[in-house]
Amino acid sequence: MAAAIVRPAGLPRSVGALVAAIVVATASGDAAWAEGRVTVRGAYYKEASTRVVQPMVELTKDLPGGVDVAAVYLLDAITSASIAAGVGGVDALFTEYRSEAGLAVGKTFGRSRVGLSYRYSAESDYWSHGIAASFSRRVWGDSGTIGASVGRGFDAVSARGITPGCVPRDSAGQPTGNRCFLDVYFGGVAYTQVLSPTLLLQAGYEAAYLDGFQGNLYRQVGGLGPEMVPGKRLRHAATVRGAAYVPSSSTGFQVQYRYYRDQYPDHRNDALPRDPWGIAGHMAEGRVYQTLGSHVEARLSYRLYFQSAANFWCDVRGPGGASCYGLTPRLYTSDPKLAPVDTHFAELKLTWEARGLRAAPFLRWFQAGAFEISYGRLFQSTAYGNARLLQTGYSLPI
Amino acid sequence: MNALSRICNATLAAAIAGAVAFGALSSGCSHPPPPPIKPWQREHLAKRAMRFDADGLESRFRQHLFGSREAGDGGYGQAGGGCGCN
Repeated sequence: MAAAIVRPAGLPRSVGALVAAIVVATASGDAAWAEGRVTVRGAYYKEASTRVVQPMVELTKDLPGGVDVAAVYLLDAITSASIAAGVGGVDALFTEYRSEAGLAVGKTFGRSRVGLSYRYSAESDYWSHGIAASFSRRVWGDSGTIGASVGRGFDAVSARGITPGCVPRDSAGQPTGNRCFLDVYFGGVAYTQVLSPTLLLQAGYEAAYLDGFQGNLYRQVGGLGPEMVPGKRLRHAATVRGAAYVPSSSTGFQVQYRYYRDQYPDHRNDALPRDPWGIAGHMAEGRVYQTLGSHVEARLSYRLYFQSAANFWCDVRGPGGASCYGLTPRLYTSDPKLAPVDTHFAELKLTWEARGLRAAPFLRWFQAGAFEISYGRLFQSTAYGNARLLQTGYSLPI
Repeated sequence: MNALSRICNATLAAAIAGAVAFGALSSGCSHPPPPPIKPWQREHLAKRAMRFDADGLESRFRQHLFGSREAGDGGYGQAGGGCGCN
């Protein structure tokens, strides 16, 4: 990968104008409107050879007539060290930027709500459009909520002629142009049930079908060249969540478990001897919320994740190198996240309702909002190594 | 039967199952519904600790982070991906 500072990928004017219009319209401060909120956040992620800085801003607003809108913008600045990028095997730093903007609109009809959303993400060599629709309805005396969502993603990747898996084609499938594509189909259902005023459960299932280029443009497998990753993937995720609150001590608990499984749909039809995916993953997370005094809340969380390897993956970092793939492999990768993975993530987050600033000169402007800061450590079994994550933010009702 | 047909059939089956479940839940099925939660009993349910969607931006960042470091994805109520972070 060339060592270069890449300019931020610009958003289309139409998207920028749309977001700006929403910001202006919803920030006009009509007192008759219900609550809205503007949130700014920053995230700093650092691991051995990658650093990510991500500023974000989100604006939500309830409008008259049961309409709610949300707009979000974020920028990823990803700086990586790459031996391949340097001259004579010397590490070099390169920075890439990713811009993302999203817009969501919802409408509530009695006990039902429908929502539509759009998301656009742009990098120097990757562009993605995503649309989604959702429906939810409160049932059983408003103690339960059933929800469903569907989505569609349209991703395009710059085909630079160096990655065989990224074959340019047009809408008719003919090999032309300078981009290859990834089509994503998403669907999910969820049910949430309030069991008591201090206890609720949620269960959900999601599936996504991906068809197109799913590799990395630049990743090489020693001796074999650019990686070759299956072009079709069906992903399943089943999730169970629970939350409980103990009023006497102002303590809250959340637990979550997710089972993940993916597969290649109909691999025999594509002359593959076996399903090249077959990854099974388990994620469990627990959170404890504790109110401290009248203005501060602490959240301590721990997340555990482990997975099996993709069936087509083998350890090219092992003694035999890429020879583990045999003489004429069709699929091969050195992607660490397709290997057996286990990660542990522990984090402490503090949220401070800034009412205490009401008497402070100038700072009283912040009294209606809440500040938050969190610090987490991510322990990874893969070559990415361990990482630190620092996040901070401020949220203000409008 | 090609892959698309299988996916369509699976989607159709899931849709039918979802519709049946939705109808059953909407009508209260044949079981008595649980006791309704009165508005004045919802004080604790509104707390951050009792909401799974309380931190939208944080969830978005986490989905992006873990999606680029782990093969497993999903469970966030929205499609993942959308970036060249493979």
